[in-house]
Amino acid sequence: MSNDAGLAHLDCYLDQVHRHLGGLPDAEVRETLAELRSHVLDKVGGDTTPARIEAAIAELGSPREVARVNVTERVVAGLETHRSPLWVLHAIVRLAGLSAYGLFAFLVSVLGYGSAAAFLATAAVKPFAWRQAGLWVQSDGRNSYVASLALGVMDRPHAGRELLGVWIIPIGLGLGLLLGWLTWRFGLFSLRLMGRRARRDR
Amino acid sequence: MSVDRRDMADELGKWEVQVRKGGLGLAVLAILWPGRLYGLEILRQLESQAGMSIPEGTIYPLLSRMKAEGLVDAEWVEADAGHPRKYYRLTDPGRARVREMTQSWRAFAQGLERLLAPIEGDIS
Repeated sequence: MSNDAGLAHLDCYLDQVHRHLGGLPDAEVRETLAELRSHVLDKVGGDTTPARIEAAIAELGSPREVARVNVTERVVAGLETHRSPLWVLHAIVRLAGLSAYGLFAFLVSVLGYGSAAAFLATAAVKPFAWRQAGLWVQSDGRNSYVASLALGVMDRPHAGRELLGVWIIPIGLGLGLLLGWLTWRFGLFSLRLMGRRARRDR
Repeated sequence: MSVDRRDMADELGKWEVQVRKGGLGLAVLAILWPGRLYGLEILRQLESQAGMSIPEGTIYPLLSRMKAEGLVDAEWVEADAGHPRKYYRLTDPGRARVREMTQSWRAFAQGLERLLAPIEGDIS
C-alpha cells in the first residue's frame, strides 16, 4: 500500500471527525482538524503507510469521541469571557446533540426561557390589551376536575375566567425575571457540568 | 486474587487516576515553562517526566481551554517535518499561574508528607 493510501485514510478519519464537530464555528472546526492532522503526521514521523496512520489514529480515539470532547471543551471554555443569557443558550444548543444530558439541558432551557418570555410579554401587553392578555382558567362545565390554563396574549377576548387581573403585571414581571434568571443559572451549571464530565472522561 | 483484593486494587487505581488528573493542569503548564512545545512533545514529556499518560485526543481540548483562559498562546509554524505544527507557549498570566499553583502544590505536598512520615517505616 502506498503512502498516498495512508494519507487518504487520515483524510477519511478527519472527515468523520468533521461530521461530529457541528457545534463549533467554522474557524474552530478548521483549527481542530488541522491540529489533529498535524498530530498524526508528527506521530508517524514521516512514515505515512496505512498501518502507521491507522495506529496513530487509534491512539487518538474514535471520531465521535474526539469530536465530543473537543466541542464540549471549546464551547465551555467560552464561559471565561461570555456569560450572557443569549450566549449560554447558544452554547447549550451547540451541546444538545452530544449527550443525553445535553439534550435535557436544551429542553429545560427552551421551556424555562419560553415560560419567562410568556410571563414578561403578558405583563408588558396587559395595560394596552386588557381583555386579550392575562392568565385564564377554563372548565369544561361537566367535570370540574378538567380545566385548562392559558397564559399570554390572544387575538380575541378569552372565554375563561381570568385569574389575576391587574396583578398579572407585577406577578408576570417578577415570575418572568425569576424564571429567566433560574434558567440562565441552570444553563451555566449545565455547561460547567458537561465540561467536568468531558474532562473526567479523559 | 480474591474479590476483595481485586476491588481494593480497582479503588486504588481509580484514586491514582484522580490524583494524576488533579495535577494534569499544573503539569502541562510546568512543561511549557522552559519554552514553546507542540502537542505531541507535550504528551511525550508528560509521560517521560511525570509518568502521566492521557488519551492523545484530549490534550488539544485542554490546551484550547488554557488558551481561552489566557494562560497559553499558540502559533502555527512551518516545521522541518514537512507539515505545519501548532506551538504552545506560556503567556505572562500563565507564568504567574504556574508560580501560584506551584506554591499551593508545595504547601499541600509538604503537609501530606508530614502526615505520611510515620507510615514510611512501616512500608519498608
